[in-house]
Amino acid sequence: MVNKDLIPKYWYNIIPDLPKPLPPPRDPPDAEFSRVELLKKILPKEVLRQQFTIERFIKIPEEVRDRYAIIGRPTPLMRAKRLEEYLDTPAKIYFKYEGATPTGSHKINTAIPQAYFAAEEGISHVVTETGAGQWGTAVALAASMYDLSSTIFMVRVSYEQKPMRKTIMELYGGKVYASPTDLTEFGRKILKENPNHPGSLGIAMSEAIEFALDHNYRYLVGSVLDVVLLHQSVIGMETIAQLDELGEEPDILIGCVGGGSNFGGFTYPFIGAKKGKKYIAVGAAEIPKFSSGKYEYDYPDTAGLLPLVKMITLGKDYVPPPIYAGGLRYHGVAPTLSLLIKEKIIEWREYKEEEIYEAAKIFMKTQGIVPAPESAHAIKAVIDEALKAKTEKERRVIVFNLSGHGLLDLGNYESIRRRVEK
Amino acid sequence: MRRMLVTYMTLGYPNLESFYKFIEKSVELGTDILEIGLPPKYAKYDGPVIRKSYKAVTSWLKDYVTPLKEVRKKVNIPIIILTYLEDYLSNLDNFLTILHELGIDGVLFPDLLIDFVDEYEEYVSKIKGKGVKAVLFTGPSLPDNLIIKASKISDIFLYYGVRPTTGVIIPVSVDSLITRVRNLVQNKLVVGFGLNDFNDLRKALSAGADGIAIGTAFIEEIEKYGIQSALQLVKTIRGILDEYS
Repeated sequence: MVNKDLIPKYWYNIIPDLPKPLPPPRDPPDAEFSRVELLKKILPKEVLRQQFTIERFIKIPEEVRDRYAIIGRPTPLMRAKRLEEYLDTPAKIYFKYEGATPTGSHKINTAIPQAYFAAEEGISHVVTETGAGQWGTAVALAASMYDLSSTIFMVRVSYEQKPMRKTIMELYGGKVYASPTDLTEFGRKILKENPNHPGSLGIAMSEAIEFALDHNYRYLVGSVLDVVLLHQSVIGMETIAQLDELGEEPDILIGCVGGGSNFGGFTYPFIGAKKGKKYIAVGAAEIPKFSSGKYEYDYPDTAGLLPLVKMITLGKDYVPPPIYAGGLRYHGVAPTLSLLIKEKIIEWREYKEEEIYEAAKIFMKTQGIVPAPESAHAIKAVIDEALKAKTEKERRVIVFNLSGHGLLDLGNYESIRRRVEK
Repeated sequence: MRRMLVTYMTLGYPNLESFYKFIEKSVELGTDILEIGLPPKYAKYDGPVIRKSYKAVTSWLKDYVTPLKEVRKKVNIPIIILTYLEDYLSNLDNFLTILHELGIDGVLFPDLLIDFVDEYEEYVSKIKGKGVKAVLFTGPSLPDNLIIKASKISDIFLYYGVRPTTGVIIPVSVDSLITRVRNLVQNKLVVGFGLNDFNDLRKALSAGADGIAIGTAFIEEIEKYGIQSALQLVKTIRGILDEYS
């Protein structure tokens, strides 16, 4: 039985606590239409208000807290005791387990409020894109919770490689299309150039926005925008309360970064409360955003329909290699997270596929959970930090966000096994 | 205390004759400070209406000195130039010298505290060193301590833009935004950037704004109904400001 009192009553917004101004979204030079104005047409009103709010704490509607309880919030905070023993480290390792939700990842935390605000506004249908499938699954479930229809543009390569993700989305009532599709002008343009295009998150996002605009539906956004990180702060708020209950003070907080939503949601409440000494964002070496990305204005989507935002980016046209962690295959990093990295408040690491695989195997062996390949990036950093604590003989408290389980990524694990364990 | 009306108009919009007429009459109708926009190469933080006005004038307006000289002759209230620092990085001294010689009172660069935040104090000293007043532009995404620091060195007033871009009405809580900034700032506080309905305006004034800056609404009015109608709007807004004086 879930005690609803343990679910936070407020989301935390880091914008008022940033060390420098957050550069606002802008329209490109010589824009034929205003992308900032376009946001008004595609996002539910309350979502848009929250995107630009500077209130530090925002009340979570009771209807949303009810749904959070249904999906099993608060999610467990667990101690990785056997991992500690395996590493023979004096460090204590805790993890917040977001894989314990029905959709298997943290994505549902923002899908629920966004669907709720859309339903409140009288919208009947929501649209989104998905890469690996976690976000699309979350939207399909959240939409069904509020009796909304949903359409999901799924990156073609994932659609073909992960048919089970499509099945879940359809079971929840979502309509799923392999992007690029012929349902949008942008998709048709891409298909004309290359009928076998494998798709990308940027393309799927562009299709979803165009589709929402054409039908006067609303678009739900899965990562990168500030409002998503705001909703995800429920992870960090809960973790703070859970650590308090245990009487623990965290030293190091770690999470993986695709667009930045699970990382921001997990760490920002700690940064705001001045808890923790070190925050580490982990990406994939194959998509070297942190080491090679530039901090500049860029489009979140490939078609350039959304406003330009200032972020660490590899460029909107960057085509990521098909690495096994689909959620990390994104060209940019959320603007607030980019700023905090630039200001050196948050550190970063990048790891290669083989290193991640080893870390995931250690975690499976010791803790029994198959981590999502994305989350395995965080685990690799945790192992490194725990071993460092061992060398330095320091009893540090390391907390990380296990943003999702990998039970629908077994095909990916199978393929990496073939590559790595030749 | 009289609440200030800061009237914005793009230099030369919609044509020189109408521009001069609007400026002069708006002063007669109660404008306290004129804010004149010099079209930049890239209007980073302007909405579609202001951008269109820039586009409309840049096709024929090649020189800003002569019309500014004319404006200075026609009105005797403070004139502030609004443009982007990015365009003047290589010849800022020269630009400021010209403004000073023209008798322009101040300059407002909306990108100063966003894109040049690490060096903003140097730029402010440079502006003041040339005898031009520096009006600083702030907004909701600025941290409190930066707003406090900026407000202390801002001349004439501190500009606070409530929305991320001009003329795009993103839903924000105008009153709570202004209540917050009012508590941080001793300087005169002028609110603008996205205020263009009377409801917003009243909220801003009730929350303690010393003045309001209006631009998009006037340009839209000129575009749709002509100068006379825009001047009528100046009168209406002056009336609202006076209710709070």
